[in-house]
Amino acid sequence: MQILTANELLSGASVYFGRDRRWHQDIHRARIFAEADAQELDAVIAAAGATTRLVSIAVEKVQVKAGRVVAHRLRERIRAEGPTSPRHVLQPLREGDHVSL
Amino acid sequence: MYRYDEFDLGFVSGRVGQFRDQVNRRIAGELTEEQFRPLRLMNGLYLQLHAYMLRVCVPYGTMNAVQLRKLAHIARKYDRGYGHFTTRQNIQFNWPRLQDVPDILEELSDVEMHAIQTSGNCIRNVTTDQFAGAAADEIIDPRPVAEIIRQWSSLHPEFTFLPRKFKIAITGAPQDRAAIRFHDIGLMAQENAAGEVGWMVYVGGGMGRTPMIGKRIRDFVPHEDLLAYLESVLRVYNRYGRRDNKYKARIKILVHEEGLATLREQVNSEFEEVKGGVLTLPEEELARIRAYFAPPQFALSDDRFDLAALKREDAGFARFVEHNSHPHRHEGYTSLTISLKPVGGVPGDATAEQMEVVADLAERFSFNELRVSHEQNLVLPHVAIRDVRAVYDVLNAHGLAEANVGQISDMITCPGLDYCALANARSIPIAQELAKRFGTAERQAEIGPLKLNISGCINACGHHHVGHIGVLGVEKKGTELYQLTLGGDASENASIGEILGPGIVAEAVPDAVERLVQTYLGLRKAKDESFISAVKRVGPEPFREAYLAA
Repeated sequence: MQILTANELLSGASVYFGRDRRWHQDIHRARIFAEADAQELDAVIAAAGATTRLVSIAVEKVQVKAGRVVAHRLRERIRAEGPTSPRHVLQPLREGDHVSL
Repeated sequence: MYRYDEFDLGFVSGRVGQFRDQVNRRIAGELTEEQFRPLRLMNGLYLQLHAYMLRVCVPYGTMNAVQLRKLAHIARKYDRGYGHFTTRQNIQFNWPRLQDVPDILEELSDVEMHAIQTSGNCIRNVTTDQFAGAAADEIIDPRPVAEIIRQWSSLHPEFTFLPRKFKIAITGAPQDRAAIRFHDIGLMAQENAAGEVGWMVYVGGGMGRTPMIGKRIRDFVPHEDLLAYLESVLRVYNRYGRRDNKYKARIKILVHEEGLATLREQVNSEFEEVKGGVLTLPEEELARIRAYFAPPQFALSDDRFDLAALKREDAGFARFVEHNSHPHRHEGYTSLTISLKPVGGVPGDATAEQMEVVADLAERFSFNELRVSHEQNLVLPHVAIRDVRAVYDVLNAHGLAEANVGQISDMITCPGLDYCALANARSIPIAQELAKRFGTAERQAEIGPLKLNISGCINACGHHHVGHIGVLGVEKKGTELYQLTLGGDASENASIGEILGPGIVAEAVPDAVERLVQTYLGLRKAKDESFISAVKRVGPEPFREAYLAA
């Protein structure tokens, strides 16, 4: 299972492509792509690239545990939750920072 | 310190305008990220895990109170109220927004600061001894030459797109406090037989995935020929350095693959061509730049510390004096290091409030001078010994009087996986756990001087290769593991640490370091034999056995 992530241009915040075709900071709202969804994933990547509002677009492997999306890599888990020590809240998205496809 | 002239002012403010336009065009979609990325990097703007990161240049680690207050203001207005001081004597802000960066750069330009050449394949910020111009053992103040190198290298048209980044460090003292042998070029002041001061040149040092100790390429270069010689080295590197593989692109690889003798021959040949030309540094120009760094008007004083008396009166203050003061060239004065390594804190971080406190202290007690050390601390270089108590009291009231400089808890630590897009493992929590374990005054007094450095990946921004104990974070099958190294040394007795064994999990690191410390305590000849001296005397084996004994 995979999700699609990027950094939003204005804030630099990490964002995830959601089930509603909008980009969210909450990884648990991410659209999960199965292997069979490869074509759709490619299309979303192409569309995301075309917006010019998303940077470092990448695919990340995940699992779904108890209804929650958990990234395989620690890097991605930290990216989704913020620095660990001390804890910092994520970079907020402001009104104009939201991107949809 | 150096003050901008009209050229500097025009150049820096022009760059701000240029970058503002580039940001606007990026936001408007007129520039792609591929086009914009090199432009933002040329202005110190990175994209990290959670946000952008802006790296601001502190030339050779020297600044004044107004500049530090400006950094505090930027931290508060545009970031999250703190900044992170780095091993290149710079400062990083972890949370700026893209549209704010041109405004930040404009504010910086108001106080003669910028973020140029803090990234990219160019000559980076020249670093030097944090006690430059103050140290008792100094042959010469290296800052005028560092400034001249800055001017020569800033936007040098030939060296803007080198095969890879290029770092120069310079020291005016025989005791190397600037890790010069771990730089692409290291310069050490020398006096020749005629009593003239010039520069011994090392080349090809560096850390990263292929650590190398710089090799001596020339024994003595006079001041007037230094730029010509540096230009010659850079030309040879620019011509022959590899561009096909970024991991083999640093000059250390060129030195390693071609051999020092070949490189020396090539550089000498180039030097013969350029020597005596436009790069010759006239004495009048050197004198003009030196005037900016003229020593302050020190008062006459024969004050000295009476450490024994201090220990009887106030053990905490005595510890601060013992560890955080450094001998000054002028009688009655000292240089004070302000540790940014409190137990439980983030190494190298300072809040906006702390920056303002330090700026005030610099104005009141250190002739408006401040330094950033490559070990991620701040320095008040010229404090009258009679004022040290007053400075200490202020620092103490603001959580800045940690008396641990040169001790095990004074760790160089990179931001690691908590922030950095390149990291494999976290560094900050490891530093915090180690500081908890070893950071009490009693333990540090028992252990004595020990440098412990932590990097979150093989790029070695945390200088783990030169830690007496080094900790390197790696990632294996999704788990953070840490390799320990032993015997690294960034001083004039340079050495690279040896890996002790397989990586261990984070929770096991404090115990592993404990075993190394206990091994040292058990085999040292006397209390004044330092950790690194003992390691160099007995070799790594007893330590390796202890490390593997778990």
